[in-house]
Amino acid sequence: MMEPLRLIHKWRRALWQIPAIIMVAGALALSSNNLRKESLPLVGDWSAVESLTTVSGDRLDISIEDASRLFRDRAVVFIDARSAADYERGHIQGALNLPWQDVDSLFLQATAGLLPGTPIITYCDGETCSLSHDLAVFLRDMGFENVRVLVNGWTVWQDADLPVDSLAEGAST
Amino acid sequence: MKPVGGIEKKQSWIWKGGFFLASRMFLGGIFIYASLDKIFKPGLFAEAVYNYQILPDILINLTALVLPWLELVLGLMLVAGVWLPGAVMLSILLLLIFSGSLIFNMVRGININCGCFSTEPSTDPITWWTVMRDSTFLIPAFYLLFANRTEKTAGE
Repeated sequence: MMEPLRLIHKWRRALWQIPAIIMVAGALALSSNNLRKESLPLVGDWSAVESLTTVSGDRLDISIEDASRLFRDRAVVFIDARSAADYERGHIQGALNLPWQDVDSLFLQATAGLLPGTPIITYCDGETCSLSHDLAVFLRDMGFENVRVLVNGWTVWQDADLPVDSLAEGAST
Repeated sequence: MKPVGGIEKKQSWIWKGGFFLASRMFLGGIFIYASLDKIFKPGLFAEAVYNYQILPDILINLTALVLPWLELVLGLMLVAGVWLPGAVMLSILLLLIFSGSLIFNMVRGININCGCFSTEPSTDPITWWTVMRDSTFLIPAFYLLFANRTEKTAGE
């Protein structure tokens, strides 16, 4: 064994080496991040994600890629959380309408054909729109096990040129 | 010094040297391997860090950017034998933080992805096995901390 004094002497060097190693890593991290095409902002906005994480750590949100794949496979039911008027102007093809403000009166009617295990995706419009999130949490509480949120759904769905329905006259589909 | 004692001492010196080298290579290799996927996918790793629900939002991206590079630099230093006291102590500190975070979330019942070696969600959910695996890496790390070989390597 090394004598305790020599060991302590060796460990003393860690006092300057540790901060130096951290600084080297930090410099490499920041410069490589700057060179990257899609650099990560040093301080991210996690508030939107926060509302989409359940207490048990599950994520509620679903990507547009996954949502459109499920749509193509007809493996999911979309529920529009916006008002009936917005829904009539245009919605994701085949989506049901369950306006969050009328959820108590319309819940049973809107979900009549759905089984507890039916995959459901709720959506509304706008990055900060919370209707779809509120509706998703409500549906989970009501016993639907497989509910996800397509954040800013109506906009991203249209941006991706995916099929829509419209009940209003003269509106394009 | 008696000649017989000298030979025994030399043999034990070689043995210890072998262990020392093996521990350095093993620990360094683990850190390098763990860093690569995260360095290439900082966005995904940031999500993994976020999901741990330990750090304040303001520190998440910074941690996701710097931590993988720290692992890479530490790994390379362990393998090359540079700045060993600092690299070994920092490794121990990191491993303790990793294991602590895993245990914390296991106890809280938060069901997340480890993000330890891969940023791909669902590849590596945290379990007591993950906790054990990460704590096992502390064994070579503590061996390196107390071993009597530091001066014989490069860079010192």
